[in-house]
Amino acid sequence: MIDTFSRHRPLALLATVVLAQVLLLAFQIKRENNVRLIRYWAVELMTPLERAGTWTFSHVGGIWSGYVGLRNTRAENERLRNDVNTLRLRNRELESESAEAHRLETLLNFKEAHMEAPMLPAQVIGASADPTSHTLFINRGERDRVRRNMGVITPDGVVGKIVEVFPSTAQVLLINDKDSGVGALFAASRTHGVVKGSGDPQPHMDYVINEEKLQPGDVIVTSGEDRIFPKDLLIGTVDVAKPGNPFQIIAVQPAARLDRLEDVIVLLSQQELLSKKSEEASDASDVAPAQSAAQPATPPPPKTSGVVTDPNKFKPAAAAPVQSTAPASKTPAPKPRAPQR
Amino acid sequence: MSYMLNVSAHSEPNVEVHKFYGGTIVGTVLLALVFQAFLHKYGRWSELIDLPLLVTIYFGVSRRNPISGLFLGGAIGILQDALSHDNPIGMYGIAKTLVGYLASSVGARIDTEHPLSRFGLIFLFFHFHQAILAVTQRVLLNHSAPFFTLHLFIDSLVTAAFGVVLFALLDRLRRNS
Repeated sequence: MIDTFSRHRPLALLATVVLAQVLLLAFQIKRENNVRLIRYWAVELMTPLERAGTWTFSHVGGIWSGYVGLRNTRAENERLRNDVNTLRLRNRELESESAEAHRLETLLNFKEAHMEAPMLPAQVIGASADPTSHTLFINRGERDRVRRNMGVITPDGVVGKIVEVFPSTAQVLLINDKDSGVGALFAASRTHGVVKGSGDPQPHMDYVINEEKLQPGDVIVTSGEDRIFPKDLLIGTVDVAKPGNPFQIIAVQPAARLDRLEDVIVLLSQQELLSKKSEEASDASDVAPAQSAAQPATPPPPKTSGVVTDPNKFKPAAAAPVQSTAPASKTPAPKPRAPQR
Repeated sequence: MSYMLNVSAHSEPNVEVHKFYGGTIVGTVLLALVFQAFLHKYGRWSELIDLPLLVTIYFGVSRRNPISGLFLGGAIGILQDALSHDNPIGMYGIAKTLVGYLASSVGARIDTEHPLSRFGLIFLFFHFHQAILAVTQRVLLNHSAPFFTLHLFIDSLVTAAFGVVLFALLDRLRRNS
């Protein structure tokens, strides 16, 4: 090496001197952005080296983390899976609790909106084992002042009525059970009928003459004639109406989700449920009778005479007393029943 | 012409190395730089004749030592750069370093005493010098410096002719061996 250098010493010196002057030039010359050429070169020289170093380190690191560092991954993976399962379970519990809280909030709001009517919230704890029987059990019974023939509703609409009472539970007959019958009327025309179960998911409304003009979506409410439900509780809407002999065949879409009941309300009396708005309206009419007299409100549509219902069918249960066999117009207004103690 | 290009390995030991009186080289170099600066006042004349280049070639081929040739060329070039106001230092330095080295190497191999030989050498070194300058300017400064033009050709002829005369004058400063 030394021999080679001494043999080519002039050439080596030439290269050194020229290189030194090139570097001197590069130190003086400035390119665009006022960057010295020597810095350009330094960056250009170092960048590939840095790139190579980064590439090497990343690959070595990748090999380390991808192979060597995976010794405990299986155990960690197992532990994380368990954590995920636990968290999923916890998440479902929380979702369930949230849904329950939402339902209870709805019930509470409903109860607060009808403070005048005594009612009791209850949870559905079971259903009938008979597939043809549409009944369910609630967690309220005799100890909670629940009695036979009390109405059961949800904030959405009518559910059914109490048919059997036990010390801490009660059995509810749903409105779509074949033994059920609810005095009903159309909210718009006030035409009376009876909503009866047939064993199908959808109950039917009977005793409506063929001349009655009906549209799908017509609202059906309780008439109060059965002395179980207060008047004007929402039952459902007309789903399909077909002419029949002698009465129309009307399929009713229940307002309450009868197949997904979890929380219900037991009506402890038949007192009519007045919404706050209607109460305020009545208060206003009392305060300003003069105005009412000057501009009488539109009279309610005339009630058609109540349809005579089959008493046996209308009875919620064989042991239940016959509710009404007279037309609604002749039936005295149902008095609120005090809860039986 | 035949002896001008008498390149031979056998001729190298017989080549005479010329020596100068003390201070001759330094004085000549400084004078060349001063005259070049003086010529710069006259514009075109400074481009026509490159006195530092001629001095570099002369002392290179006379001393016939590549190491001293490249250092002398480098020093002259850097001084020339330093005296010019717009050249970055090293521009002429690189070119004259290479010229000094080559002149010394060539001077050790061929006869450089004949006027025609000197004319040819100066002509070639002029264009070599210009080529190095052009490359340096293109690569480092991003300037489009020309490698060859008619003006450069004329300049090289004038410089070579002037160099033959100057070399004859400088021969008188040699110390008799």
